[in-house]
Amino acid sequence: MTATALRVHDAAPETVPVQKPADRPAKGTAPRARPPEATGGLAVTVRDLSKSFDGHTVIAGLDLHIPVGQFVAVVGRSGCGKSTLLRLILGLEQPSAGRVVLESDAVRAPPKRIMFQEPRLLPWAKVVDNVAVGLGETGTRAERRARAASALAEVGLTDKSANWPATLSGGQRQRVALARALVSRPGLLALDEPLGALDALTRIDMQAMIEAIWQAQGFTALLVTHDVAEAVAMADRILVVENGHIALDVKVDVPRPRRRGDPDLAALEGRILDHLLQNQAPA
Amino acid sequence: MASPSLSAPRLSTRLRDGAAQRLVPWLLPLGIVLGWQAASSAGLVSTRFMPAPLDVIAAGWQLGRTGELWANLWVSTLRALAGFAVGGGIGFALGLANGLSRASDRLTDTTVQMVRNVPHLSLIPLVILWFGIGEEAKLFLVALGVFFPVYANTLHGIRSVDPQLVEMGRVYGLSSWSLFTRVVLPGALPSIFVGLRYALGIMWLTLIVAETISASSGLGYMAMQAREFMLVDVVVLAIVIYAGLGKLADVLTRWLERTCLAWNPAYRTV
Repeated sequence: MTATALRVHDAAPETVPVQKPADRPAKGTAPRARPPEATGGLAVTVRDLSKSFDGHTVIAGLDLHIPVGQFVAVVGRSGCGKSTLLRLILGLEQPSAGRVVLESDAVRAPPKRIMFQEPRLLPWAKVVDNVAVGLGETGTRAERRARAASALAEVGLTDKSANWPATLSGGQRQRVALARALVSRPGLLALDEPLGALDALTRIDMQAMIEAIWQAQGFTALLVTHDVAEAVAMADRILVVENGHIALDVKVDVPRPRRRGDPDLAALEGRILDHLLQNQAPA
Repeated sequence: MASPSLSAPRLSTRLRDGAAQRLVPWLLPLGIVLGWQAASSAGLVSTRFMPAPLDVIAAGWQLGRTGELWANLWVSTLRALAGFAVGGGIGFALGLANGLSRASDRLTDTTVQMVRNVPHLSLIPLVILWFGIGEEAKLFLVALGVFFPVYANTLHGIRSVDPQLVEMGRVYGLSSWSLFTRVVLPGALPSIFVGLRYALGIMWLTLIVAETISASSGLGYMAMQAREFMLVDVVVLAIVIYAGLGKLADVLTRWLERTCLAWNPAYRTV
């Protein structure tokens, strides 16, 4: 079904250096120690990837490498192909040409998970059972429920576990969706504008929560967003996608925890916005 | 939350309390029966054409004591349930098959849609020719009548399951069976219940018509026999029993809906 070649290398190939900003592991915001099993992030390698829909090219010969554990944000104007790129990497779409390789150092490759723009919770399943969906068919029902309960605790919704999704607020539903994505300890978490529909304050809370969990678990994160400020606040690296290829690839060398309104972040945000607006002008 | 109860008049607050609230739906039927009895007692209505409620109760008591009523009720119920099980079962299975498989849909849906437009009661002469007035005739007609609403609503329910949820289930690695039992079927359930309600109505209708026209037992037969002997009270008794059975079926489906669809705010008890 999926186009993604999921290959597990026992010996890490040369393209999988664990590149992390020097300041990341030690500093303050990580609320808990990294659990021992959560070391297997997935590295993403994209080679000459193309995708067209009905003769219209959306992704045109794109190359990309994302090392294990990196937090990458993909920004771009709507229709630039950023969501398609994410869906191709996840294997939700078949590439027209080229390939996507996901690699892991772990013996058993960790799963890849996606958080959609909508929560996509099953309205007929209690919150805890919705989270357990993230475990697929692994283990017994009781085991799945127990793991789901601990994932719910991570997003601070233990007291809602027996609720129907219809009784939750928008932000709470997206937190349940986050717990569902995280419960299987993914090696790659793709976020397809998951915070777009939330109010500004809830969004900031969610950004901090996702950042903290990412720091604690060390998965590779791929965030597609139209909000440049969000990208700058959360990511190690920002990709600007234009006309189906990567137009700009910048590292965000600002130590964490990052403060909102930091001048370096603001400068970077301005630079990316300038780029996005400039390239649109002639069209 | 507070404002409506503050603005509501005192009467409605009192009615909302406990038993009073539950009695409200019965006020109208009760009033009609009392008015009817009063009109009969006053001699305004000829009891030859319309018996007084007390006469109907007396007839019911009489038939209940001889066991005739229960025997007929039992026979009718068995026929209804058997026809429902056969027709509903086939309709549900075909609805699932056509909702899940394009090939099955291509093959059968056109045929089903054509047959659906034939009023199933128009087949009564043919059915009598085929089966006589035996049990098969009633079973066949009830099954045929029940089949279409169950089929159409099951199919519609499956088709209208949110594709985003199905995609989510696939991405999260659910097996086909899990995807069906945890995503598709629960999503189709509200629509399946709509089909069930329709089907229950059609089930009684078909059975009574069939029993009235060709039978040697059952409620419809009892009513027809009573007409022969001008026993108006028994005819009216049969009609009252139909109303009661209809209400019973409705109560059961509502209870099922509330139990199975508790997640849906539209079906939650207020």
